[in-house]
Amino acid sequence: MLKYTLRRFFYMLVTLWVIITLTFFLMKLLPGNPFGESAAKLTPENLQILREQYGLDKPVWQQYLKYMGNVLQGDLGISYQYPTRSVVSVIQHSFKASLELGLESLIFAIVIGLALGTYAALRHNKAGDYTAMLIAIVGISVPSFVIGPLLSYFVGVKWGILPPGLWTGPEHRVLPALALSFGTIAILARMMRASMLDVANQDYIKTAKSKGLTSGAIINSHMLRNAILPVITILGPIAVNVVTGTLVVEIIFAVPGLGSQFVSSIVSNDYTMITGLTLFYAAILIIVLFITDIAYGLVDPRIRLGKGR
Amino acid sequence: MSAPLLEVNNLKVSFKMFAGEVQAVRGVSFTLDKGEVLAIVGESGCGKSVTAQTIMRLTPTPPSFIKDGSIIFDGKTDVTKLSEKQMMKIRGQEMGMIFQDPMTSLNPTMTVGAQIAEGIRKHEKLSKSAAMRRAVELLTLVGISNPGERINQYPHEMSGGMRQRVMIAIALACHPKLLIADEPTTALDVTIQAQIMDVMRDIQEKTGTAIILITHDLGVVAEMAQRVIVMYAGKVVEQGDLNDIFYKSQHPYTWGLLSSVPRLDSDKKAALASIPGTPPDLFAPPKGCAFAARCPYAMKICQEQDPEHLPVSGPTHTAACWLMHPDAPKVERPVAAGGGVTHV
Repeated sequence: MLKYTLRRFFYMLVTLWVIITLTFFLMKLLPGNPFGESAAKLTPENLQILREQYGLDKPVWQQYLKYMGNVLQGDLGISYQYPTRSVVSVIQHSFKASLELGLESLIFAIVIGLALGTYAALRHNKAGDYTAMLIAIVGISVPSFVIGPLLSYFVGVKWGILPPGLWTGPEHRVLPALALSFGTIAILARMMRASMLDVANQDYIKTAKSKGLTSGAIINSHMLRNAILPVITILGPIAVNVVTGTLVVEIIFAVPGLGSQFVSSIVSNDYTMITGLTLFYAAILIIVLFITDIAYGLVDPRIRLGKGR
Repeated sequence: MSAPLLEVNNLKVSFKMFAGEVQAVRGVSFTLDKGEVLAIVGESGCGKSVTAQTIMRLTPTPPSFIKDGSIIFDGKTDVTKLSEKQMMKIRGQEMGMIFQDPMTSLNPTMTVGAQIAEGIRKHEKLSKSAAMRRAVELLTLVGISNPGERINQYPHEMSGGMRQRVMIAIALACHPKLLIADEPTTALDVTIQAQIMDVMRDIQEKTGTAIILITHDLGVVAEMAQRVIVMYAGKVVEQGDLNDIFYKSQHPYTWGLLSSVPRLDSDKKAALASIPGTPPDLFAPPKGCAFAARCPYAMKICQEQDPEHLPVSGPTHTAACWLMHPDAPKVERPVAAGGGVTHV
């Protein structure tokens, strides 16, 4: 297991390096320059000074080497947009809200999604099944930028049950987390339903039944654990999607998160910010996938033992 | 013998499908005494497994439903009339079942010990440790070495033969009066088959459990069974003692089955004997004898009227075939003792 983990860790670093390199060079292909509209007002001399200050006058490969050197020291550079702030400090400042929002909506999604899917499978081809799957289809087809404003308007403004926006108390968390989790609830519910139905047809369920177990005992000790296995596999990518996909919802509910920073950095050619955030998100993705692998092993003894204890 | 352990009367089981009703079992009757080993043989799809699973009410309903008939267990309870809740008390406690494929019949995420103990804890209200001790005893009984360690293992750590032994242990956990083995050796290779049959015979002698053995392997039948039922297209076509079926059988289908058994001393160049044709579609079973279309001796009446069971030799040996009728032409039984063909 240790050897396996170390090898996975090495691949993780290689993947990150590829991502940084790709982003770095692709970004240089973006039209425009990081100094934005103000560049037009600058004299060519001033522009040249700025370029020298940021090292943009050097050949691209030199810029790349310098950047890689800095990244290895944990320095993602200074933002072009906010010359007083480093990319690292922007991440530190904004990511907390995004992460919190993401995790909360992930919890919503897992709890509601798995419950809904299980319920639908147990009521297979009955009214409960159809209702649950109808909810799931709505969840998949209606994007969060539609659900977000609807929740904000009805629950927040019209009925005044929960605050429609901002990010101060715990009550501000519910609506954005719910809006963000809608699609994920739907995906998890459908997946869990299919998985439960598949498990229900397995021979070992018949064995369990032949022992005289009650249906409750069969569901608890034989079905759920086996049905959840395939769901865990997609939980990793889904978790990343949720945590990093907070962008639109952040803007709708005025959450001071990282997603909005990402968009504005692309619009304004903020080179260091784009690479820094891409690197950061990529790292999260890879780490979460890694954790998923380990979680999978914990639930499924075949994998746990297959890799050697 | 007192009242039989199991009495199946005119059992009819159908499956409701989108396209219509599949009549999987079309009026099966038989009895099973306490401690008896009864084999049900027949081709795939002839209703053997459905009959067996219906005795434990394990066929999924819907789509399956019991159309007619009764299954009297232990002289008093009609299994077909019980609620699901009452069935839960009988399953595992009074009846146990072994399935065909040990590779898929055990839960991959539970230790085998827990899977054996589960039924014991449910029916006998034992503590976890007492149930586990019993699981160890059961594993010893079915011939698994190091049972103390094995109970903590998962199914994927065991071979197919060992898993089938575990299945036997699960089925026997609460000392059931009836053990139903649904093709217990089909998915195993030949040497393991013999071991599993040894275990089953051994256990039958030790515990006196009655066994219904479903198989299409006549070798297995000869080794274990006292009585044999031959099924075809959802009906019993012939039943009798082991010797009746092997040496004095009267139904052309039984002859076909017996002559289909490959022999070591047969000419290697000759094709293996088989029964030409396929079983009828049970969506729309034929009006007359279901075997008529494949029967080399079929007469006009066979197409039109289904034959009743007629006694052959002794009170328990019956066959449903028009050839038994006094007016029918005499047909020489073409099968030699032990399954060989005397003439073709």
